[in-house]
Amino acid sequence: MRGLFLASACVCILAVGTICVFLFANGLPFFRQYSALDFVTGTEWAPLRGVFGILPMIVGSFYVTFGALLFAAPVGILTAILMARFASRPVLKVMKPAVALLAGIPSVVYGFFGMMLLVPFVRENFGGTGKSVLVSSLLLAIMVLPTIIQTSLAAINAVPNSYYEGSLALGATHESSVFRAIVPAARSGIVSGIVLGIGRAIGETTAIIMVAGNNPRMPGDLLKGVRTLTVNVLMEMGYAADLHRESLIATGVVLFVIVMAVNFLFSFINRRRVVQ
Amino acid sequence: MKIKKILALVLALTSVFAFALAEFDASKAIAVVSREEGSGTRGAFIELTGVMKKNADGQEVDHTYAEADFVNGTSLVMTTVAGNEYAVGYASLSSVIHDDSVKAVKVGGVEASTENILNGTYPIARPFNVVTKGELTNPLAVDFFTFIMSLDGQAVVSEDGLVSVSTDQTAAYVPAGLSGKLTVGGSTSVSPVMELLAEAYTLLNPDVQIDIQATGSSAGVTGVLDSTYDIGMASRGLKDSEKKAGALATAIGIDGIAVIINPLNPVEDLTLEQVRQIFTGEVTAWADLGN
Repeated sequence: MRGLFLASACVCILAVGTICVFLFANGLPFFRQYSALDFVTGTEWAPLRGVFGILPMIVGSFYVTFGALLFAAPVGILTAILMARFASRPVLKVMKPAVALLAGIPSVVYGFFGMMLLVPFVRENFGGTGKSVLVSSLLLAIMVLPTIIQTSLAAINAVPNSYYEGSLALGATHESSVFRAIVPAARSGIVSGIVLGIGRAIGETTAIIMVAGNNPRMPGDLLKGVRTLTVNVLMEMGYAADLHRESLIATGVVLFVIVMAVNFLFSFINRRRVVQ
Repeated sequence: MKIKKILALVLALTSVFAFALAEFDASKAIAVVSREEGSGTRGAFIELTGVMKKNADGQEVDHTYAEADFVNGTSLVMTTVAGNEYAVGYASLSSVIHDDSVKAVKVGGVEASTENILNGTYPIARPFNVVTKGELTNPLAVDFFTFIMSLDGQAVVSEDGLVSVSTDQTAAYVPAGLSGKLTVGGSTSVSPVMELLAEAYTLLNPDVQIDIQATGSSAGVTGVLDSTYDIGMASRGLKDSEKKAGALATAIGIDGIAVIINPLNPVEDLTLEQVRQIFTGEVTAWADLGN
């Protein structure tokens, strides 16, 4: 029996290990032919001429992720607080499955929704072609909402009720007890929800490729197009050959390193919570 | 019940957008739609329209408008253009010719049609040639060539989105039961269709092995002339120097690219120069095209 458990655990570790080895073995040879510094700081992407600069995509990835959090973090946290402490039973009955459903919708459906509704809406009302940083961020915000809501909700619910009761006993109102006593106590859980959201947003591809415009130049204003690291890989893999293909795998390596950094940040925050 | 309500809402929203699409405002910006770097269609398009130009160092530079919307696939180009009345894109002629969701413009007054591509008047087209050194003599190469020009071979060519060149050779191919090895090399654009042809041919002639090397049109011609290749591939016509050296080109299909706009866009005709200006971003509004 113990062997079965061990074998199951190994599947996961083996998968992670294989992916790491594959990615680095295929991606690193590129840096022997092209300077890593030029690769991550270059602003021009012209693979057919042998110019590979992915700084626009790195900036683009952070740009849309930050934009998404700007929408999703306040909305998500306030929704979690509502669900934990304010919502009545019938409201909760609708909200819980709605959030779960939001988490379960496939990326391509989000992308389709963005392309058919958000893009024309932004084009008609704000100008530009509609495929933009704004739409990408909005769409990502909707996609990371369930992650932020569910993690924050769990953190808020984990706060002992005595905090709330103690606050009430001191004469505080319901609102200030929730915001001054409970939410601060759940702070680290809420922050880790946001970090998880960052991880989800930075890795999203299918939905973004449909609404971002995918321009391989430094991102401009909110209504202009943008290309993220993930999109760069998916977009050109079909036809890429030789060094061009290797440069895309190297793009994957850069993305992998960024996502790992985010995950380390997440476990760092979690560890601090345990210590508290 | 709920689903019905949602559907009604979606319908109402789309009809609002459809209504908003009704009026074409020429002062609005052109929404340029381009393919991704590495796409064969993009490669051919920028070459034939002059979007790609040599710089001072003699290096070919792609000047595609940086603010264009980049999509990875013919169907996505068509969906994007169909959904935005100010959009303009390009796609292989075969994929747009039977599709009413987009409109192919005339280029230099010439309609994008199979006939105009065959008679050479439509400008955004290029032949996919096989290159030989004089007449073919190697019986295996002759047989493969016969297959390419036969009804079966041309069916493969059309399926790949090219305009078939063969109008009179309607004979079906009969395998001759040959064996041996052929080396075909040259244009990277022709290679994909050549691989399909080789696959179909070796299915009928299992003892034949066809080796395809994608090295570029010029390398294809040189390779045939110095007998490295049995058959060469070129996505351009031959230069005089190449003809003089004994190279002979035969088109196996023609690659035509249509410039497509939204059906609500009143523009019918663009010059090749206007197409270049649009796709390099020199002209950014429909009204500035100056007809």
